[in-house]
Amino acid sequence: MKRVVLVLGMLAVLGRAAAAQGATHVLIVTGLSGDPQFATEFGRAARAIYDTARSQWHVADSSLIYLAEDPAADPTRIREKSTKDALTRAFDVLGRRAAPGDLVLVFLLGHGSGEMEDAAVNLPGPDPVARDYAAWLHQLDRATVVFINASSGSGDFLPVLSGPNRVIITATRTSLERNESVFGTYMARGLTDVAADANKDGHISVLEAFLFAQQEVTKVYTSTNRMQTEHGQLDDDGDRKGTPTPGTTGVGDGMLAARIAFGGKSASTDPRVTALVAEQRVLEAQVDSLKRRKATTDSTAYQTELERLLILIAQKTQAINAITGVKQP
Amino acid sequence: MKCPRFVPMLAVALLSASGARLAAQQRPLSSVTVLVNHGQLDSAERLARAAGSSGTVQLADILVLRGKLAAADTLYNDAVTRQAPDFRAAQAALAELAARRGDRALADRRAAALIAEYTQSRAWPRTDLAAVGRAYAVLGAVDPQAVHDALGAFDAAVAADSSNIDAQLRGADLLFAKYNAPDAEETYRTVLARVPGEPHALLGLARVEAFRQSDSAVTDLRASLKQDPALVPALVFLAQVDLDREAYDSAGADAARALAVDSSATGAWAVLGLVAWLRDDQAAFGRIKAAAARTTPVLTEFLADVAEATAHVRRYADAVALAGQAVAQDSLSARAFGLLADNELRTGDMVAGREHLQRAFDLDPYNLWYKNTLDLLDQMKSFHTVHTARFEFVAPPADADYIALYLGPLLERAYDEFATRYDFKPPVPIRIELFSRHADFSVRTLGVTGLDAVLGVSFGNLLAFDAPSARDPGEFNYGSTAWHELAHTFTLGSSGHRVPRWFSEGLSVLEERRGETGWGQHVTPEFLAAYKGGKLPRATDLNEGLMRPGYPAEINFSYYEASLVCEMIETEKGIGAIRAMLAAWGQGLDTPAVVERVLGLKADAFNQHFDSWLRTRFATPLASVDSSDGVKPVTGKYEKTMAHALELRDAGANDSARVVLDSAARLFPGYGGDDGAAWYLARLDSTSGDWRAAVAQLAVITSTEETADKPNDLEAAFRLKLGDSTGALAALQRLQWITPYDPALHVRTAELADAMGKWDVALTERRAVLALAPVDRLEARYQVARALQRAGDVAGARREVLAVLEAAPGFEKAQALLLQLQGNH
Repeated sequence: MKRVVLVLGMLAVLGRAAAAQGATHVLIVTGLSGDPQFATEFGRAARAIYDTARSQWHVADSSLIYLAEDPAADPTRIREKSTKDALTRAFDVLGRRAAPGDLVLVFLLGHGSGEMEDAAVNLPGPDPVARDYAAWLHQLDRATVVFINASSGSGDFLPVLSGPNRVIITATRTSLERNESVFGTYMARGLTDVAADANKDGHISVLEAFLFAQQEVTKVYTSTNRMQTEHGQLDDDGDRKGTPTPGTTGVGDGMLAARIAFGGKSASTDPRVTALVAEQRVLEAQVDSLKRRKATTDSTAYQTELERLLILIAQKTQAINAITGVKQP
Repeated sequence: MKCPRFVPMLAVALLSASGARLAAQQRPLSSVTVLVNHGQLDSAERLARAAGSSGTVQLADILVLRGKLAAADTLYNDAVTRQAPDFRAAQAALAELAARRGDRALADRRAAALIAEYTQSRAWPRTDLAAVGRAYAVLGAVDPQAVHDALGAFDAAVAADSSNIDAQLRGADLLFAKYNAPDAEETYRTVLARVPGEPHALLGLARVEAFRQSDSAVTDLRASLKQDPALVPALVFLAQVDLDREAYDSAGADAARALAVDSSATGAWAVLGLVAWLRDDQAAFGRIKAAAARTTPVLTEFLADVAEATAHVRRYADAVALAGQAVAQDSLSARAFGLLADNELRTGDMVAGREHLQRAFDLDPYNLWYKNTLDLLDQMKSFHTVHTARFEFVAPPADADYIALYLGPLLERAYDEFATRYDFKPPVPIRIELFSRHADFSVRTLGVTGLDAVLGVSFGNLLAFDAPSARDPGEFNYGSTAWHELAHTFTLGSSGHRVPRWFSEGLSVLEERRGETGWGQHVTPEFLAAYKGGKLPRATDLNEGLMRPGYPAEINFSYYEASLVCEMIETEKGIGAIRAMLAAWGQGLDTPAVVERVLGLKADAFNQHFDSWLRTRFATPLASVDSSDGVKPVTGKYEKTMAHALELRDAGANDSARVVLDSAARLFPGYGGDDGAAWYLARLDSTSGDWRAAVAQLAVITSTEETADKPNDLEAAFRLKLGDSTGALAALQRLQWITPYDPALHVRTAELADAMGKWDVALTERRAVLALAPVDRLEARYQVARALQRAGDVAGARREVLAVLEAAPGFEKAQALLLQLQGNH
């Protein structure tokens, strides 16, 4: 119950995410699995992101790069083996393509090792370390970057990669949390499953995806009566410090992640729609204002006004859908 | 196989000291000690008297064993006055005697004086260290720190002389009295390694095992009595074991044997008092109480013993009354407060129970039961309570709403059915406590963890059981568990809590079979083979199988057999006979008298009649199994036929296998176990796409196996293929009692119910999804709103959808629903 309150409370603060305005570029990297079970899990998570990026985020093939331990396992999706050289090439490509206003998602999944600037994800051949990734990310400085290291022991990546216009997410608090991690599975689901769209605005923000993953990871450990050995972190204010609860009152992190969403409905250019959307925003702001006054408002009056505003918002949606030809759900 | 449940009966909590024993049990054992340890007290007394003044203390110890307390007191005083060699043991014994008489002030004075002497000089011979421990133990009745000191003194005595058996045993008894069973057991085993057959150590071991509900307790108890037939604490323990199995005549005989040795044995008087109490013979109870008071004027322990034993036989209100009297006798008795609290908590008086438990814990902070239960009660403050018309469900927040959604309607229906069947309406509300950790349920029931095999208990109007989340999915059927426990509420209530355990359990299992298709136990090859082998009790002796099973499976077999006895009676004589039997027990009659009055048969004739009935009813399957001892795998024609069928199947000869499986099914009709023909036939049929045939086989399983998750799942799927939505929905609903907390199952059920226009079912299922705190909570709540709309509850639907949109104004599906509800779409 507490979990739910946290999510709803946060949404009230953070409002709507917007679909990316520029192009989206995606780099997915899975490392050495060491076990067929991990190979399956890594592959499943990577495929989910890859397929969603292609079909729903409309990422161009040339901007969608998937590197993995065994390219033969999924030759239609995997571009090449996930070696350090391949990563270097991939970042070069993305660095050339990414323009100001673009969005770049980097998703790493594997087993972590090392500490601080030498923290690594184990790849075939020599392992690039956190400072290598830091150097690569500088090539993407014009774009907004969402860097997710969903590997075990990934926590030390966060202070090394933290910076402006970047959302850095790790599966663990530090490199010392090296037990098997389930965060990657749920982070991938959070980015791709509509269930993570907590405020039901049609966009899954990075913040929503992260909180979805956090919630599901906790549930896994609770339901199996195990002590939780991984604690996901998010940093997006560039202060090199992550938090497990971004977006909550008093926490600096979460503002950028709340504004970033991959895919979702693109805005209409029809001026009638634009006007209706603007009117909806005004009404939503009135709902927010009303909610802030809830504790001091007579409950009947509150409900009456809430219902009035919500009906007006719904009617705007109805009108927008009529113009755009979208069938009412 | 289903885990057994029971109306709780704590096997033992024998916390009273094990009584006097010869203080100087050291190696080599003296001749007197050897005689005492073999129960030859006359000879021992003669020998001790012959020793003259040097044997004074030993003689006094023997007199204590024989209940001649006044004479013993005189001898001990003499020894102290003369500063005889064992005079410090005599000082300790005098303190113990005062405590035994209930003269706490004198006991404390004597004990404190001894300890003061010790602390001033410290240069005592090693043989006197045990006396210090005994003195501290006397003070420990009201001073927790003294218990610690007593254990230290006994340890010191043993460290000084490892052959000091007396100190080891006293230390072990004290450890056990403070619920440290593991350390106590270790000491008892150490003693037995040094002195094989030592009766007190065997008795201690028996107590530890009984505490753990181990079946070997009685074996060790009997071994103890074989060594020392006059060991009074063992005789009292045996009497209590007999009480547990409701063999009151045997218990009375055991107690009489104990009193013949020691007429001052409070525990034995308590057994007699209990028997009188249970027979509602208040005059006899008064006489027995007076007799006990002659040697022990303060009757706290007597009353506590009777209170504890009444609770063992499920008369919790009586236990509250008696424990209250015990508290009135001694306001410093932790045990009395603990018993009072225990039974108040069982009868649902949570406030008084909590208060008295805290008092007990303040007096005895070493007591694990008190601590565990107080901790649990603190934890339960965070539990949620959900009310229905006649029930209140108390469960952890994550479980309460979900469980009440299903158990509420189920138990309301059960209440109505039972009220009609038993012509009795228990007072309401009935409290249902559920625990998401089995250890918590165990603490609620026993005060300690470890009650692994039990799923639920009924205290009458308070039921407690594992929430489904406490066990792995598929491990048990929580619906049938609740149904079973609630049946106890009616059978206990309608008999004034006097129905014997076997009959109450038998009715509960029988009621399970009526509750829902597939619930409850059904006949198995193992049961019939054991029955055929004579390994099951006669009908009227079924408490033996429940309380003193000779092999592990006997408990479950006895539950089932008891249900068959009840079924036979109801089939032949009608529910009126069952009601009449419950009423007759309620009037204090014993089982033979009840059977004779209501059924017109002597017990032997009734047992023979049941045997014939069972052999007729199960004639076909009985002929297909060999006799067994209840332990070895079943053999016989059925087993051979199944083995042959599986060989054929493994060889790929499916058609031949099918023929043989069919013949196996005819040998044991209706058997749905996972090793039975039906399951294999269902798989063959589904492989060949014959859904109708597969469904027929699956139905054999799902109508007899209450935890058949996969078969119910398949049956639902296959029935849908056949267009049988009603059958599919029933299978899904059965599945929900087996694998709850599965959102996908609830969605599946909701969608099917929607398609069938069963809006009320769909609404329940959507609410279940919401109660499971799904990650997509708004979607779940939206679905509830939609279900409410379809069920015609427009106001409810509007409330829900507004709540959804309040959190997510942009949720388009919810917006559309809101407009629909406004008639504005």
